[in-house]
Amino acid sequence: MTVWRYARLYLEFVKQVLKVWLEYRVDFFIGALSTIVIQFASLLFVTVVFEHIQQLNGWSFYQILFIYGIAATGRSIHLIFFDNLWTLGWQYIRTGNFDRLLIRPINPLFHLIADRIQQDGVGQLAIGLVVLIVAATHDGTVWTPASLLLLILLILSSGVIFSAVNLFFATLSFWMVDSLPVMFATFSLSDFARYPLTIYNKGIRVLLTWIIPYGFTAFYPAASILEPAKFGLMALITPLVAAICSVLAYLFWNVGLRAYTSTGN
Amino acid sequence: MRKYIEIFKSQLQLDAAYNGWFWANAVASVIGLLIAFSFWHAVYRHTTQIANMNLPKMISYVVIAMILGNYVSGVGNRLSESIRSGEVAIELMKPYDLLLKLIWLDLGSKVSASVRNSLPLLVIGYAFLGVQAPVSLAGGALFAVSAILGVLIGTQFDLIIGVLAFWTVNVWGLRVLRTGILSIFTGALIPVTLFPAWLLRISEVLPFQSMVYTPVAIYTGAIPFQAVGMTLLIQTIWLIGLYVLVRLIWSVALRKVVIFGG
Repeated sequence: MTVWRYARLYLEFVKQVLKVWLEYRVDFFIGALSTIVIQFASLLFVTVVFEHIQQLNGWSFYQILFIYGIAATGRSIHLIFFDNLWTLGWQYIRTGNFDRLLIRPINPLFHLIADRIQQDGVGQLAIGLVVLIVAATHDGTVWTPASLLLLILLILSSGVIFSAVNLFFATLSFWMVDSLPVMFATFSLSDFARYPLTIYNKGIRVLLTWIIPYGFTAFYPAASILEPAKFGLMALITPLVAAICSVLAYLFWNVGLRAYTSTGN
Repeated sequence: MRKYIEIFKSQLQLDAAYNGWFWANAVASVIGLLIAFSFWHAVYRHTTQIANMNLPKMISYVVIAMILGNYVSGVGNRLSESIRSGEVAIELMKPYDLLLKLIWLDLGSKVSASVRNSLPLLVIGYAFLGVQAPVSLAGGALFAVSAILGVLIGTQFDLIIGVLAFWTVNVWGLRVLRTGILSIFTGALIPVTLFPAWLLRISEVLPFQSMVYTPVAIYTGAIPFQAVGMTLLIQTIWLIGLYVLVRLIWSVALRKVVIFGG
């Protein structure tokens, strides 16, 4: 079974990474602390603003936190497991290291992703979960096992969307050598997703729903739980968007891979 | 002919990489402005005043602070990269003071960034987002003085972060940590006067609000004219204090370089 074989391989990769973490414990601590402080800064910002207002466009403090929590946990999945996509251009293609991946008897995309597990994401995951728990117990939602499972599915979808979008733009590196600036610019769009999309004008909403679907990384999933009457359908659409994004990104990656091998000859 | 076309192509790719970063940063900055603009408009939908600031004043503060906030760091990255690559050892043998050299390099890139990046953002701010002019002509001039002091304070603090590369390999984590601390306490995201009392107390004894909050508050007139002299003095004291601290840490770090050298 291929899936089984890849799962075992991934574990081997993880073991190597853990050894490095144990070797550089101070660095691990700095990394985890750094993402916590960044998250804390944004949370403090929202908290300070809500000292002066009761609601933001109809959304309460804990509802905003809930949106924020989904964004942070979804993003941390992407940061921990798919962070190496950022380095495709400057660490693999420019240096010629990518050829090393191509001669191995495993899927080069798998190899690229498994080459790194980003320690700094652990801090972000921790704070994201804390925020989610605090928000979920205060925003008036009644939780059932089914809705909890749904929440987990939605967070996983969020992480997948982040990763798929990044994979799509990382693939441009096969033609541009390093597409990092394009990835960076696109990723900065995800900052919109931290707040309810309803505060933005129509153009931005359309962009984040239909073109670069970052709206599905936080706001739509959160809204489907907070306001099921109005946004309930989004609970179904979000995993669908995640699946479509992944397929498109992977197909595009394969196109890029073929373009790369032909220039190598 | 083929090889020359390849050379030609490689230069195109190189330029695209640099221009790519220019455009990427421009896009990210404009997105930041749009988020802040939409956010604060939503905040003011049910209120007219927050901490004695109305919406146009808040927008002016946030936009100017966001632009100025881009300048408080930068030199630390140069230093940490020089340390990580080991280049620092050769640099130290050269007949100039390494820290001063880095500071001047950094100021050069900040001046060019102010034309390439900040000017377009300012134009967007004035033309589309409703950013107000400085409270008065003198206020504008004092803002400029205070902003330069703020950037210099930021540069000294950033050198401290840079030197830490002698002790840790996770330079990226340190940078993120620095960005987080700065975004809270400099006032680049939000005027410190909106803080709850306990946080304001902490902020007042730290050097960070001198980097962004002080100049921008002079710009918007939140710091009254007669108090400006005092705040400029505080900024100067912080600048001197951090300068001395940087030199102290630097001399300790240099002893470490000697040890590495055997």
